[in-house]
Amino acid sequence: MTFSAILLLLCYFAALLLITKPLGAYMARVFAGERTPLQRVLGGLERTTYRVLGVDPNEDMKWTTYCVALLLFSLASLVFSYGALRLQGVLPLNPQHFGATQMPAHLAFNTAVSFTTNTNWQSYSPELTISYFSNMVALAIHNWASAAVGMAIAIALIRGFARKNAEGIGNFWVDVVRCTLYVLLPLCLIGALVFMASGVPQSFAPYTTFTTLEGAQQTIAFGPVASQEIIKQLGTNGGGFFNANSAHPFENPNWLSNLFTLIVIWSIPASITHTFGKMVGNAKQGWAVFGAMAALALAGMLICISAEQAGTPHLDAAHIQTAATALQPGGNMEGKEVRFGIVSSALFADVTTGASCGAVNSMHDSYTPLGGLVPLFNMLTGEVIFGGVGAGLYGMLMFAVLAVFIAGLMVGRTPEYIGKKIERFEVQMAMLATLVLAASVLFFTALSSTYGAATGNLNNAGPHGFSEIFYAFASGTNNNGSAFAGITANTPWYNVTLGLAMLIGRFLVIVPLLAMAGALAKKNAVAVSSGTFPTDTPTFAGLLVAVVLIVGALSYFPGLSLGPIVEHYQMLALATH
Amino acid sequence: MSDLLYLTMAAGFFLLAIAYVYGCEKLRGGSQ
Repeated sequence: MTFSAILLLLCYFAALLLITKPLGAYMARVFAGERTPLQRVLGGLERTTYRVLGVDPNEDMKWTTYCVALLLFSLASLVFSYGALRLQGVLPLNPQHFGATQMPAHLAFNTAVSFTTNTNWQSYSPELTISYFSNMVALAIHNWASAAVGMAIAIALIRGFARKNAEGIGNFWVDVVRCTLYVLLPLCLIGALVFMASGVPQSFAPYTTFTTLEGAQQTIAFGPVASQEIIKQLGTNGGGFFNANSAHPFENPNWLSNLFTLIVIWSIPASITHTFGKMVGNAKQGWAVFGAMAALALAGMLICISAEQAGTPHLDAAHIQTAATALQPGGNMEGKEVRFGIVSSALFADVTTGASCGAVNSMHDSYTPLGGLVPLFNMLTGEVIFGGVGAGLYGMLMFAVLAVFIAGLMVGRTPEYIGKKIERFEVQMAMLATLVLAASVLFFTALSSTYGAATGNLNNAGPHGFSEIFYAFASGTNNNGSAFAGITANTPWYNVTLGLAMLIGRFLVIVPLLAMAGALAKKNAVAVSSGTFPTDTPTFAGLLVAVVLIVGALSYFPGLSLGPIVEHYQMLALATH
Repeated sequence: MSDLLYLTMAAGFFLLAIAYVYGCEKLRGGSQ
């Protein structure tokens, strides 16, 4: 690994640490309903929103009410987006005259589900398929709403741990509105200006046609990119304005926008660990979770960057220099932008798949087998390596419950976490949430690997082709949205199966976790005793890392062996396939 | 026709998810 790579990693984690405490503390105040300076400006809008929606902001919801409100809100917004996409031909802001021909029913289903579930998987080329209206209304609304919903679930689960003998876990509508107005909106306004300053366009003008030096006509697509770019990254959404996503120079023009993007993606997922610590009254609990996430992240980054910088035996055999020098990056540059090089590309791949973002600035399909294994494994952990906005924390808390259960079994005591006894129901719910992810990924991967209409859409045979399918369903189920590429997914089969995988991965995880929140809120806190296993220490963070790795390895090792691991050994043997 | 199929599929999934909510609540009541 080069010195510049180590320096970039140090700078990146230093920036995250700087953000985590102030933003985390601010979010704790927002969700506790405390007064913040922004409330003076936006408080009227918040109250008006409640009045228009007919919401009583003082209502404290039981978990069942909270969850049903969430599900109905998601269904309504899904149906709205589906309709808007199918009717884009008769809706405004459509200078390219896109219609239902570009957006058939199976694609509209996949796209509406994808954005509702915060996945933002795109089976289509946006600049050739969807109007500005579709982009800014039908889809961007989910960039905000799905992020706010993810945050709301995490906050509800935190309240489950923080409250004692309580029936309710908060108010879904209040959590979503406060997250949107006081967290996402101000950060997006600032971030969009930073993107515009770095060269990202923001325009409603139609695409421009130029005559090239050879005399050919070339159409340059652009539009309101900066405003979508910031919420895409901040909300860990990932759906790009352009098909090339963050590899496109209008989405990510230079190293500065790239570094800013990386920080933005993990800003809320990292900070919410501190929100967790503040809300449960022990900041060290939050730092233990942060430490576990950071350790997993760093391990993946070191493996991925090292594998890409090492290149491949094929390059060595062709006498291509793979060692980095001052004039060239060395290693495996296939599928990577020269303006980012290997380190910024591999780091981006780790960050975007650690979070459930899915934005890409390089083609993950072109990574070395071990380099490509890391983004795949990041997703297969259930997106808990900082993870999606809110989703990362609630996923990690699910693993924390399993970790204290395992620790309790080892020492023969009733497990406790944040002063709450973890009993049969909580473990059942944590297991249901864990198992449904593995079941969805493996079932749909197996089905697609044996179905001719699905395997016929692959660009590669053998283990790499299997990795393409495995990656697609790992990405869909875990609501990441990045693609390995190399697979033509805009077919009825993939649009429907990936759509179902996204719904299962989002909502069938949320339900048991909110059930757990409701059960925990009702419990009284148990006093700390000499038999209490401390969960705010590096030892617990280590146990948490081990549980994530063990669950991931037990669930997915056979799949990883059939894909990137066997491909790695084929590569070492200079095999061709 | 295909629009109706996909919308029904989505609505069916959410109905199942709501049933899952009350199934979990029933399980919680049973485990207490």
